[in-house]
Amino acid sequence: MSNKKTADLDFAFSRRTAIAGAAGGLVWAGLVARLFQLQILEQEQYRQQAEANHIKLQLAPPQRGRILDRFGRPLASHRRAGRVSVIPEQTDDPERTLAQIAELIEIPDDKLERLANDIRYNRRRNAAFVPVTIANELTYEDFARMNVHEAEIPGLNVEMALTRSYPRGRDFAHVLGYVARASQDDLTRLSDGMTGKEAETLKTMFRHPDMRTGRQGMERFAEEWLRGKPGYRKLVTNAHGRIIEEIPDERLAPMPGRDLFVTIDSDLQRVAIERFAGESGAAVVLDIETGDVLAMVSTPAFDPNDFVNGISSAAYAELRDDSRSPLYPRAHGGVYPPGSTFKMVVATAALEAGVIKPEERVHCNRYYHFGNRTWHCWKHGGHGSVNMHQAIKGSCDVYFYEIARRTGVDKIAETAHKFGFGESWVLGMTGGRSGLVPDREWKQRVRKENWYEGETLNFGIGQGQLGVTPLQLALMTARIAREGKPFKPRMIGIGPQSDVDQVLDAPLEQDIMARMKAGMYGVTSEGGGTAYRSGDLGLGGPRLAGKTGTAQVRRITREERASGIRKGENIARELRDHALFVAYAPADDPKYAISVIVEHGEGGSSTAGPVARDILHYALKTDSRRKPSYSQSASLSPNLSDEGEPT
Amino acid sequence: MSRDGFTGFSRGEARTRTATSLSFETKGPLDKLMRLPWGFILLIVAMALTGIAMLYSSAHTNPAESHLWRLQLIRFGVCFVMMIALGLLPLSWWMRLAFPAYVGTIVLLVLVEVMGFSGGGAQRWLRVGPIGVQPSEFAKLAVTLALARYYQMVLQPQTGRILVHLGALAIMVIPAALIFIQPDFGTTLALLASGAVVIFLAGLSGRVILTGIVGGVASVWPIYQFVLAPYQRERVDTFLAQLFGGATNALGESYQIEQGKIAIGAGGLNGRGYLQGIQSQQDYVPEQHTDFILTVIAEEFGFIGTTALLIGFAVLLGWSLYSAGRSASWFGRLASAGATATIAFYIVFNVGMVLGLLPVVGMPLPLISYGGTAMLTTMACFGLILAAHMHRDEKLTARGLF
Repeated sequence: MSNKKTADLDFAFSRRTAIAGAAGGLVWAGLVARLFQLQILEQEQYRQQAEANHIKLQLAPPQRGRILDRFGRPLASHRRAGRVSVIPEQTDDPERTLAQIAELIEIPDDKLERLANDIRYNRRRNAAFVPVTIANELTYEDFARMNVHEAEIPGLNVEMALTRSYPRGRDFAHVLGYVARASQDDLTRLSDGMTGKEAETLKTMFRHPDMRTGRQGMERFAEEWLRGKPGYRKLVTNAHGRIIEEIPDERLAPMPGRDLFVTIDSDLQRVAIERFAGESGAAVVLDIETGDVLAMVSTPAFDPNDFVNGISSAAYAELRDDSRSPLYPRAHGGVYPPGSTFKMVVATAALEAGVIKPEERVHCNRYYHFGNRTWHCWKHGGHGSVNMHQAIKGSCDVYFYEIARRTGVDKIAETAHKFGFGESWVLGMTGGRSGLVPDREWKQRVRKENWYEGETLNFGIGQGQLGVTPLQLALMTARIAREGKPFKPRMIGIGPQSDVDQVLDAPLEQDIMARMKAGMYGVTSEGGGTAYRSGDLGLGGPRLAGKTGTAQVRRITREERASGIRKGENIARELRDHALFVAYAPADDPKYAISVIVEHGEGGSSTAGPVARDILHYALKTDSRRKPSYSQSASLSPNLSDEGEPT
Repeated sequence: MSRDGFTGFSRGEARTRTATSLSFETKGPLDKLMRLPWGFILLIVAMALTGIAMLYSSAHTNPAESHLWRLQLIRFGVCFVMMIALGLLPLSWWMRLAFPAYVGTIVLLVLVEVMGFSGGGAQRWLRVGPIGVQPSEFAKLAVTLALARYYQMVLQPQTGRILVHLGALAIMVIPAALIFIQPDFGTTLALLASGAVVIFLAGLSGRVILTGIVGGVASVWPIYQFVLAPYQRERVDTFLAQLFGGATNALGESYQIEQGKIAIGAGGLNGRGYLQGIQSQQDYVPEQHTDFILTVIAEEFGFIGTTALLIGFAVLLGWSLYSAGRSASWFGRLASAGATATIAFYIVFNVGMVLGLLPVVGMPLPLISYGGTAMLTTMACFGLILAAHMHRDEKLTARGLF
């Protein structure tokens, strides 16, 4: 091996290391160039992607608007309620954690098992950070106890949540309805007419544990007004979706729902309910001047608070099967024969039709023969010879058989519609019914039969097919009290208005209405009036004018009429007649109109009359429409604090 | 002058030192220890500690991985001692070890085929007592040693003969083929690439190299079509799609690359700061403590930090190559250069992959990525480089196989 060759080789090696080094340098330069491209030139793009990666917008539910009475007292608001949940990833032994919790608060055994399954399920599907709710409504003691033990039970999470609350409980059950978790049916109904994206947003929002939707009543009617608009929470999450922190952002905050003012005076409502003293029935009080509904009572009722977190099927079955029907909205959805309270309508129709003069007399000897049948007056021995005023005052059936026959069914029906009968009044509630004002066309269409003249006679005393609601009776009374001037009832003071409700403005002659008023005054304030005892309001002056009514629950048999036994202890309660009373007060300057029905109360004058009188007494005494309310004082704070402690 | 800085000395200084180093045998082991290139070694330590710090950053939020940095620190400590020991080993010992190590590696690779167990979709692991080892990792060092040993044996008089290089090619291709069928495409490529560098440095003629390059380029398509497994082809497809901006499924195969790129790009010039990387701290990039550790550095320390890391690697490799060139023996030169090339290709493949320039091949970043076997190989390579440096004047006389 020569030195020269070795030197050549050495030189070649040095040259090649230099080439290799240079090639490596080029590759390195390429890598740095790529880094420069990614980190400097395209930095903005990747920063944005990183943001989008880890910042998630989570739909935040809006706080539902409150429902307040005319003076701003909350009827539906929010209550802070303790909620206990378990975060699956924070416990290794779900059963043990649940057992520890069960030592502190009561959890049924079957529920324990289901909860353990839920926890395991969340762990399996990689959602171990999604809490499983254990109990929604903690009592104050439970909440305090759970809070103390929160740190020592692995996975336990105790927090406050806002829950819909009805501080007046049963008082407004049928007016307000209630809220509940949105069911599939609710979602389908609410998303009707929405675009796919809107519907998706809606569904996402209602999946939130705090979200509720109005299921019945005003809660349902004013759903959109009350609901508000969802916002977003800006959350920092990791790759698995676990929330690391929240970034506050005012612009994304949810828009809370608007408060809604109803026209009802919740104190008057309470007084009215108490006056029923456990009897089933309904009462509606109207402000004659403004059309405001001041009370809308249906009793017995249910407690809407029971529905907010889902009512158990057992509790619901109990309500549903209760023979006194607490779920039944009697005031606007209960259809009753109006009985004698309908006589003003028949009299008005007769005068409008000109078939009788007010002073024309009809003789009543208790019996009225028509065709081959005989109709009876309620009064033994009959009223003798009566004109219209006396007939209304004494509620003489024979008189009204006669004028009804003369007037004819279609004319009576037409007049009945002018008073608001046969139409459904929504006023922001659900469950309102129109009742039924029969006529020839209806009978032909529905029953496929001709109208019998005999039916007209029953119609004349408010019986037969005729069905009305207590609300409609109150409207009738208000129209009479206003002497025919147009009248528009309303129950939502500030809130969405119903476009279904019409103004009662069909023409009614003032002098006819004045005669009706005089008749009603006679009922309560003149000798021979059927409710003479109820006329004095006990306020040292103002009197009420009204009309009694008895609605037969069933036909009176011949034997009963012969024996005279169809009242009191002798027959089953549910077969006894309903007692009705309509009135306005003060008689000389009407401010309030009322209708009262006491189910199976038997006598309009003996049971319903005193109820109506006492309610009107309170209404006049407090004269709530004189006090500032939503409509007179815009400064009324819509944000009266009413958040209570957990109960 | 008793110590080297690893930079900034001239040819003249080297000669002076050559004179002194002739007498090292008489001065005892402590003196030899002192003469190690400590600047070079300190840079290795600094980079490994950087890697451990990044490992902590990427894994500390995950309870299952938060202890890994300690494990890696212990491994590095053990490997560091091994590196120093290897560096003090005379080249004649290395040479004697070369062929047995090579044969042993081949045997292990065959054993992997027969009785190895799988991990990550390929049969790469062999169980030795309580630990699993990857013979393919040892192959990188063994092939380098064997090639250097081979050239040491045959090169001196017959330089330039093409036939000589055929033997080297065989030494390289046999283990490469065994690794390829595991299958481990990345390691195969790295092995072939660093082997090719050794053959190039050994003086293969330019014409043959040119032919080889042409042949290599021509064989790209047939290899893709007929040799690659479906999953490997998919990776290449994904890589090409993202390289040319085509639509890729962000949650599928390319998720890792995309998330990695987002982490890197979001780092910007200065980075988000240590432990502040959003992508890194929140598990967005899979395999972030192993193959994709560079994304943590890029996100938290930005362009400046990442470039500094690459410069650090460049300095290590540049000095190693320079040191190889100063070795008196062919064995020393080629073994040292081969070890340098091995580390260099690790880095290129890993960084290229993470930056989206190369397909995902599953290569760790030397000194930085978590992983025991890669750490062992890297530190052994550095040990070999140190040994070649320390014994650059050693005359090697062995002509036989041992």
